[in-house]
Amino acid sequence: MATINPKFGKNLKKYGGFNFNACYNCGNCTAICSISTKDSSFPREMVRYSVLGVEDEIITSTKPWECYYCGECSTHCPQDANPGELMMSLRRWLTAKYDWTGLSGLFYKYLPATILAMLAVLAGVILFANRAEWNLESMLHFGHLFEMIAIATVFAVILAPNLVRMWYFTIIKAGVKVPLKTYLTALNDLLVHMFTQKRAKDCDDNHFRWLEHLILVFAYLALLFTTVFLNWFGTENLFVIILGYVESALIFIITVDFVKDRIQKKKALAKKSQPSDWFFVIWLLLMGLTAFLVRLFIDINILESNKWMYLFHLMVLAQWALIIVPFGKWTHFLYRSFAMYFVKIKSMKSGVKVKK
Amino acid sequence: MKTQNKNITYDALVIGAGIAGGEAALNLANTGFKVLLVEKDDSVGGKMILLSKVFPTLDCSACITTPKFSEIARHPNITLFTGSQVSNIKKHGENNFTATIHKKPRYVHVEDCTACQKCEQVCPVNVKDQYQYNLVGRKAAYIPFSICSPKAAVIDIDNCTLCGACERACPTNCIDFTMEEEVYDLQVKTIVLSTGFKLFDPLKMPRYGYGVYKNVVTSMQMERLIAPTRPFNNVLRPGDGKMPDKIAYVLCTGSRDVTVGNPICSQICCMYSIKQAQLLMGALPMADVTIYYLNIRSFGKGFEEFYEQAKGMGVNFVKGKIGKITEKENGSLILRYEDINSGKLKEAEHDLVVLSVGALPNNEAKGLFADNLQLDRFNFVDQVELMTSPAKTNIDGVFVAGTASAPMDIPDTILSAGSASSEAISYLMKENAPQPPKSGVKVGQFSGC
Repeated sequence: MATINPKFGKNLKKYGGFNFNACYNCGNCTAICSISTKDSSFPREMVRYSVLGVEDEIITSTKPWECYYCGECSTHCPQDANPGELMMSLRRWLTAKYDWTGLSGLFYKYLPATILAMLAVLAGVILFANRAEWNLESMLHFGHLFEMIAIATVFAVILAPNLVRMWYFTIIKAGVKVPLKTYLTALNDLLVHMFTQKRAKDCDDNHFRWLEHLILVFAYLALLFTTVFLNWFGTENLFVIILGYVESALIFIITVDFVKDRIQKKKALAKKSQPSDWFFVIWLLLMGLTAFLVRLFIDINILESNKWMYLFHLMVLAQWALIIVPFGKWTHFLYRSFAMYFVKIKSMKSGVKVKK
Repeated sequence: MKTQNKNITYDALVIGAGIAGGEAALNLANTGFKVLLVEKDDSVGGKMILLSKVFPTLDCSACITTPKFSEIARHPNITLFTGSQVSNIKKHGENNFTATIHKKPRYVHVEDCTACQKCEQVCPVNVKDQYQYNLVGRKAAYIPFSICSPKAAVIDIDNCTLCGACERACPTNCIDFTMEEEVYDLQVKTIVLSTGFKLFDPLKMPRYGYGVYKNVVTSMQMERLIAPTRPFNNVLRPGDGKMPDKIAYVLCTGSRDVTVGNPICSQICCMYSIKQAQLLMGALPMADVTIYYLNIRSFGKGFEEFYEQAKGMGVNFVKGKIGKITEKENGSLILRYEDINSGKLKEAEHDLVVLSVGALPNNEAKGLFADNLQLDRFNFVDQVELMTSPAKTNIDGVFVAGTASAPMDIPDTILSAGSASSEAISYLMKENAPQPPKSGVKVGQFSGC
């Protein structure tokens, strides 16, 4: 039997959902959505569950992740109930639910908490610089070391357990029983969706944005690889140096365009930016910009006299790696692709049990 | 225009000669008052005279309207102006209104015209016939429609090439291109506003493809296709003249939809769609009719039974708003919707789609007045005493009848016209009675301050 939480809607409003109670259940949103299908129809179903507060149905569902927010449903909603924004807020809510530490929810709901965490990291960076006695050489060395350790730790301690929780909710709790082999055969889907977001391409009139996003993902992953494993800031290899420049410039250019969209508010998906959206896109922008400048300062030999530049980059990096990646919007990169993976697994085994 | 203004005086001015205005004018005239009934169009009858049948009785619409309008045309107390527009209504005191009426030239002397249609036959100009809702063409010299009143030709001067063929063909010499606009200064004691409603223009919803896909029609076009005076004498889809087998109705097109600026229910679409579905099942016994609805609002007397009757006849009712329509190569249409009862996205193919368009306010009403006529928040004429005196507007002595005040069906329109005319009569009867002393400033009295 489904349990209804009457306070769910109120809670969801803290995650950015609004006006969804205006829904009069016409299904226009589902019908107009270009990626909704016969077997996976949304967003109206999610709107109904949210209005009623049927948390079990929402937490076991992958549908919020199947939406790529083209905004058509909100544009044409006859009741102005903003189904697109509701799906966005459900993704934030799910992110918070998957996170075992509970920090995601805290950061999504309370802006001061995010700001405090950001300041704490800033203080840590200054403390670190002090310990290194503002020596550029050792700061660069430990900075590089930090990156590697941070990535490994965040993944092992936060992201991996959260993915397991997501698997538990969407597969085990949903009552799906599949043989182990299915997980292997569906793996292909995971990788395809992770690196292409090909479903987003089906969103009408969204091809340019899809391309921008695709380039951004690749540039970001490549820059991560270049700095961590190819030691971009320390290398003498001209190819690696240029590669890093291109990657960071691409990140900067594309995020500037995304920020512009959010300021102009012309597209439906850019109309209702939450603090988490701003942090994500601005920090990504700063990452591209500061990485570019740090390497530029190294190449024209002025970093020694402008240590603040590296410290600023390190601060952005630390805040990104310790707050935004594990607890913020960055996780959609994992959850979206894993959601598609789980959808594939569910589809391969038709034995979806009747829900409790 | 050099035309001299003529002064005329009446007891009551009724603006708009649809079924509401006609009913109000008859009530006033039968009580002995002199009524001027002004219609913007070239024929009286409004929208009702063009309908096929009426719900829930399935009476023939033309058979109800035509006797009423011939009574109006012959009534000694009613003067009828067609092709005329009222403007500049001013109140100078109780029972004292002035207004200007512009009567545009018809270029035909109505009293001499025998409606022989010879002018129509010779006229070389073909344009879309607005009375058949663009389903067929008409000439620039034409009789508006077969049961129009006054039944006389009109020259559509905007499209006329001034070739003179009609003038030469006319056996009674009633065509006269020297006619000019006439302007009247009217003095009147009370006014009934029956300016009606406008139909939603589905071009505002490009995702339904109206105007692009030929087999997507409006409900008013379907009314014409099944009316006794229908253009094709059969129900044919406009794209290729094929007899449709699977007909879909898209309810709430332009109603209950904030994205097109009309958040309210039009109150008539559910019922007229159900009526058309029943008529179609009679006209095309082999056809499937599906009505896609959000909620069926069958609230009036006999409406629920009428809805049940349609279900019993085999009309298919599906809950779900149509999201978009796409056209196939053969002219058939794919409708995409979520079947709310199963929660699944579905697509259905139909060979004719009828958009059940909503009723919008006629925003011309406000412009007729020099004084401020109050509108409600949906731009219908405001009923300031909705519960106690529903025909009253914010101007004492001006009464509203029919769909000028809100979307409503024909039975309600007749009731509303009855209410407006009796309010107008009681206002007129107060003329000779002593006026109760009033505090404050009367409207328009100290306008120069």
